[in-house]
Amino acid sequence: MTETVHNLLLGFSVALSPPVLLYAFVGCVVGTIVGVLPGVGPLAGISLLLPATFGLDATKAIVMLAGIYYGAMYGGSTTSILMRIPGEAASVMTCIDGYAMARKGRAGAALAIAAVGSYVAGTVSVVALMFLAPPLASFALRFGPPEYFALLILGLLVLAYMSSGSMVKALAMATLGLLLGMIGIDQMTGYFRFAYGVVELGDGIGVVPVAVGLFGLSEILATAGQETPPAVIKPTLRELLPSRQEWKDANWPIWRGTVLGFLIGIIPGSAHIISSFVSYAVERRLARRPEEFGQGAVAGVAGPESANNSATSGAFVPMLALGVPSGPIPAVMLAAMMVHGVSPGPLLIKQQPELFWGFIASMYVGNVVLLILNLPLVGVFVNLLRVPYPLLYPGILVFCILGVYAVNSSVVDVWIMLVMGLVGYLLRKLEFEPAPIVLGVILAPMIEMALRQSLAMSDGQYAIFLTRPIATTLLAVGVLLVLLSFKSLITHGFDWRERMAMAEKGDEL
Amino acid sequence: MRRARVLVGVVALAVVAGIAGAQESYPTRPITLVAPFPPGGVADLTARPVAASLEKILKTPVGVVNKTGAAGAVGMQYVATSRPDGYTLLLALSSISIIPEADKIFGRPPAFTIEQFAPIALVSADPTVLVVRAESPWKTAREFIEDAQKRPGQISYSSSGVYGTLHMAMALLEHAANVKLRHVPYAGAGPALTAILGGHVDALASGPAVVLPHLKAGKLRALAGWGEARVASLPDVPTFKELGYPDAEFYIWAGVFAGKGTPEPILTRLRDAMRQVVADPDFKGAMDKLETPIVFKQGEEFQRFFDADARRLAAGVRRVGRIETK
Repeated sequence: MTETVHNLLLGFSVALSPPVLLYAFVGCVVGTIVGVLPGVGPLAGISLLLPATFGLDATKAIVMLAGIYYGAMYGGSTTSILMRIPGEAASVMTCIDGYAMARKGRAGAALAIAAVGSYVAGTVSVVALMFLAPPLASFALRFGPPEYFALLILGLLVLAYMSSGSMVKALAMATLGLLLGMIGIDQMTGYFRFAYGVVELGDGIGVVPVAVGLFGLSEILATAGQETPPAVIKPTLRELLPSRQEWKDANWPIWRGTVLGFLIGIIPGSAHIISSFVSYAVERRLARRPEEFGQGAVAGVAGPESANNSATSGAFVPMLALGVPSGPIPAVMLAAMMVHGVSPGPLLIKQQPELFWGFIASMYVGNVVLLILNLPLVGVFVNLLRVPYPLLYPGILVFCILGVYAVNSSVVDVWIMLVMGLVGYLLRKLEFEPAPIVLGVILAPMIEMALRQSLAMSDGQYAIFLTRPIATTLLAVGVLLVLLSFKSLITHGFDWRERMAMAEKGDEL
Repeated sequence: MRRARVLVGVVALAVVAGIAGAQESYPTRPITLVAPFPPGGVADLTARPVAASLEKILKTPVGVVNKTGAAGAVGMQYVATSRPDGYTLLLALSSISIIPEADKIFGRPPAFTIEQFAPIALVSADPTVLVVRAESPWKTAREFIEDAQKRPGQISYSSSGVYGTLHMAMALLEHAANVKLRHVPYAGAGPALTAILGGHVDALASGPAVVLPHLKAGKLRALAGWGEARVASLPDVPTFKELGYPDAEFYIWAGVFAGKGTPEPILTRLRDAMRQVVADPDFKGAMDKLETPIVFKQGEEFQRFFDADARRLAAGVRRVGRIETK
């Protein structure tokens, strides 16, 4: 303990030295911008800025890159809440209730709750990172393909909680998403699937163009299609702050989201993206009035926004403790260290205490910086809503196209976004919800890969899922959840979904 | 009429003079160096210092552009179909010879062929090394191979992806040592390394630099290398050649290419510039930090290396053939 305090003091002496502080600040600002820009996610942001760090030393470089990563999580909620455009994949769920809150004039409250939730999650998860990194990292590495598969199957169950409408429609949308996710090179055999000679489709349909198209573009099209333009929201200062009740509603979701996000974040791979989806489902499952979700439930913003933030700290666990490139973003950050001659490995914490503890301390500092940065920005951003639609929407459209193009310099991605915008518009008219499509596109390639890797490991024996304790436990939890959902059939109670359907029909309960 | 003819003549002369002038004074505008893989990968990390040094030597901005996708095919195709004027260069890895061959066995129109490129210079060529977990029973490569012969298809390895570099290294070893291993592909070299550290596979062929810290920390053990000579940072690790498997030769190499049809004077200028690049202390320092030794070949010598490597890999890809699911 005293050693940790001592180390932390060393860390703060590094993190608070003016040059390091400056780069942490720059990282946070860039991250916020990256998060706000639709399409450009943290991976793209970090990748684009990696070359700029080659001139710095390793500590400054990594502090700045980390700032971009968690800064993007703060910024990502902004466009989701204000315009229903997911700034990056992790804030797709925020589009639903965050935007609903904004339509009710609570945009300021939603943004403030997202910022505070992100702050709590960021800070608490750094504490966890500091104390638990080495033991957790070894545990995280035990997540091989079978465990990953079991976890993702659990992730699919999330679907049941994603839409407030018909279950059949949600499943249809999820299937569409899973099918879209099948496009691209088959990772196990090298076949091009459904690419029709377009080399760019080899990597599949990206989540970001799909999400921006389905949510953002469809919203723009739908608004443009209305006979009378919606009234421009003019928020007053008093409305910027969350009410006492809203704080209360946000409290537990923030804490649950923090824990959940961290646990999902430490797992190697790209599972951190689903942390916000899972958090949303959990909140809805636990909510006393699940029917409020989709109509502007505070918990639907607080939970996912906290989860995606603590997932970023979680992702650093295997990277720092073991020097393992456990996901795309940690891989880029490890490259940044290698460029400076720091070989990342299990001995990193021992050999580079300034780097490790400076990094930890800078995350405390960075989260404070982001909170200070983001709370006043709430007022600025909310005022964007005062811009009349004929000016606002073309501007947003330009940013969407630029952002999506910038990630891979790919025109194909822009087309995907535009097509998805049209698809999203049609689905809206037919009252389908787009979120399950996005989850499907995220999950399909990961589930398929994990399943087939598992079977490659076991030479085709499905028993591999029952001989590994973690995988078996996760699958058992999944079965249990499915069984629980049948409970109402036996007890003849109505679950919230049926209650809602009846309420819509005007039946008395 | 006469005036028009004069005009045509003048314009033609101007164009010819322009081209000739452009060649003499190449480069007159910024050069793009395409890295067909994302930032942070070997191609990108090599391209950055190459670009920085080239910029000093050619006295014109050289920008690295990551054109990624389809395991590098997108970026390579981009350069293959760009104007061969010396302003769009490619920093390619060994996979440049694998992709067209894989396209061939699937019977699809190739994204590009190696004939579409003019080699300029080889910058590095790192042999892969065979690593296993420290607690695994194999202490030497011979033990590993003997065990693999006894239990065909039982020992597993991770790779950066089907037909990827790390897969091809293992495929060459399988053929050379007449063993059958179990392949578990991952999406990239990072996840493949994570897999062996987590104990989900038994072995991995990897570039030496990335496994070095894990070897030092005692988590992994290196059994043998695929190079012609031993890896400098791992002097105790024998080569497969020494052990009697000369066909197990594989390098993760990085080289600079231009499009086929680039005028010879420009190619000469670029080859010359690349020779100065590898002598540049800044470049040497950058490669040192990456623990990647510089291996420089150009002109005929690079062409021979490239051809031999391409032949080896093409044969390897054909032997692997189409991966059919059982």
